[in-house]
Amino acid sequence: MERIKNTLMELCREMTVSGYEYRAEGKIRALCGDIFDEIKCDPMGNFVLVKKSKLQNAPKLLIDGHFDTVGMMVTDIKKGGFLSVVNIGGLDTRVLPATEVTVYGKQEIYGLVTSTPPHLRRAGADSVPKLEELYIDTGYSKEELEKIVSIGDPVGYRYVFTEMNDGYVTTSGLDDKACVCGIIEAIRDIDVSQLKYDVYVTISAQEETGKNGSARAAFGIEPDIAIITDVNFASGDGTPDYECIKCKGGASVDISSLTDRRLTRAIIKLLSEKGIKHQIICEPGRTYTNNEGMLVSGRGVRTAVISVPLKNMHTPCETVNLEDIKSLKEILSAVMYEENL
Amino acid sequence: MKELLKELSLAFGPSGCEDGVREIIKSYLMANMPTDSEIFEDKSGGIYLHIKGEGKPKLMVCAHMDEVGFMVTHIEENGLLRFGCVGGIDPIVLTAKRVVFESGHKGSIIAKPVHLLSEGEKDKRPKVENMLIDIGANSRNEAEKLTFVGEFFTFDSDYVEYGEGFVKCKALDDRLGCAIMCKVISDIKNGDLSCEYDLYFAFTCREEVGFSGALGATEMIKPDYAVVIESKAVADVFGVSDQKKVCILGDGAIVSFADLGTIYDRDFTRHVMDLCERNEIKYQVHRVISGGNDSRHIQTNAGGCRVALLSAASRYIHSPADVVHYDDLDAIYKALSQVIANGERK
Repeated sequence: MERIKNTLMELCREMTVSGYEYRAEGKIRALCGDIFDEIKCDPMGNFVLVKKSKLQNAPKLLIDGHFDTVGMMVTDIKKGGFLSVVNIGGLDTRVLPATEVTVYGKQEIYGLVTSTPPHLRRAGADSVPKLEELYIDTGYSKEELEKIVSIGDPVGYRYVFTEMNDGYVTTSGLDDKACVCGIIEAIRDIDVSQLKYDVYVTISAQEETGKNGSARAAFGIEPDIAIITDVNFASGDGTPDYECIKCKGGASVDISSLTDRRLTRAIIKLLSEKGIKHQIICEPGRTYTNNEGMLVSGRGVRTAVISVPLKNMHTPCETVNLEDIKSLKEILSAVMYEENL
Repeated sequence: MKELLKELSLAFGPSGCEDGVREIIKSYLMANMPTDSEIFEDKSGGIYLHIKGEGKPKLMVCAHMDEVGFMVTHIEENGLLRFGCVGGIDPIVLTAKRVVFESGHKGSIIAKPVHLLSEGEKDKRPKVENMLIDIGANSRNEAEKLTFVGEFFTFDSDYVEYGEGFVKCKALDDRLGCAIMCKVISDIKNGDLSCEYDLYFAFTCREEVGFSGALGATEMIKPDYAVVIESKAVADVFGVSDQKKVCILGDGAIVSFADLGTIYDRDFTRHVMDLCERNEIKYQVHRVISGGNDSRHIQTNAGGCRVALLSAASRYIHSPADVVHYDDLDAIYKALSQVIANGERK
């Protein structure tokens, strides 16, 4: 569990706001260089990592987890060292006032999202401030700030990794680095002699801004089957129980009209037979994951979706339980050893 | 002063739980008390240093040790905690912020994910009664092993220096007052500052909840003059009209003529401003009638006394990211030193 935590911290430490995934190439190579046979970064910023089986003409299994996170982009440098920003991806603006961020200019600088005291706010404001009413306080003068930051620079939540009780950790970017971590750890411990597939792991780009990355990566790979891993809503944060899964209940298999029915059933059967902990989540319509793009990539791909339960999605306090990452790792291992899928 | 400010600000001390802060101050006072001075405590948790100046007028310099925080009010079946605020906290700064208990256990303030909110809910200002604390407990039983109903906790926030002279931490309100007073005390001990008053330094409790330790302090000391060292909520951020900014971080110590609690002593306040002018200490005048503090209790108690306020402009006050500017702390320190060294206006 300690190793899962360390890998997770290494991944979350990297700023990978959608479109800036490539900045972490060094980290991916350092973390995964010894684990995979081959690592590539494609022009979109997808990392494709290959682990070959010992079999001749083994079928191709793609396992995807997206690397990008929601964030912001600088749109103007204002008087007094304040930055105006727009969102990248589905940012939860409710949580922004007095939130810590890092601005990635020529150097990384600390920033705080502005908040005005209630008695000095515009009268009768019963609504949360909109992003265009908020600024990033950098503490620099405009002149100094212009030397460091340019319009278009990305802004991410400040990296703070907090351990709570019983294996729960909270930080930003666990969507979807919790899954990326589970994938890397599954491959690290894989017994290649039992591997039934040539495994192509995509640590993909730009999921949060339209699920653009992984489908392109899949196009180049033409996998026989694909497992998409992403986070899903966990109960406890006010989400109704029927819309979510439980933390510490294990990773879940998603049943959806957009996933491959035969593959999904085979995985559930496999996990049940082997007694591997998992839960089920029903997504009758869309899955809102990379499965949607990949499904129709090239000549089409058979996909299944495995989810890790996560609380506080798209906030600086995303929370997962490390057990559920371990569960994802175990589920993926079982899938990689199973030929009849 | 920076090191002490950091140590004090990181200490745990919501109103009524100032013990940790008091211990830091106590050991500082023990190590830095001038000759002919005395440390004493009151029964409500305040700690004092008296530097004797026989026949001189009595001046009390006052800062509060407590910070805003929270209390566990209920533990849900699923292990999440309901809570209430200790002191005035705007719920808008709460969602998805980290908290820490005195025991060191950590948690976060959680809310329903943005994806699942209805259009109406998305824009609504949050309410504390709809928020929960997640401490990583899976059931009430597990939660009860980590905390209890009635336990206090605070924001989990570190000490960060950023930009050009700014600092962010929790609880800078009013540990900055405590730190400035400590620095002045050590100057007096070292002979760098003369003292023209019978001087009391009062480190008080429970300012944030209104029933201030300053009440008792005033009755006990019966000062002729008082200087309160505080933080002042300002809104000097982009997008706020100049009129509503109140004051500007970095423009110096704030001198107030009035706030919602107190009309400050005009002569004494003018005296403080004159001293700043004469010694080229940066100061600014509080430009909106807003806020309030211990001054009210001090001015109206024990026969009344002449009160002046020196405060540091603070952005995002009562949030995990209380922000002040070092130049302002330096200006308050210098202004206070001048007040002490110059005695009554002749």
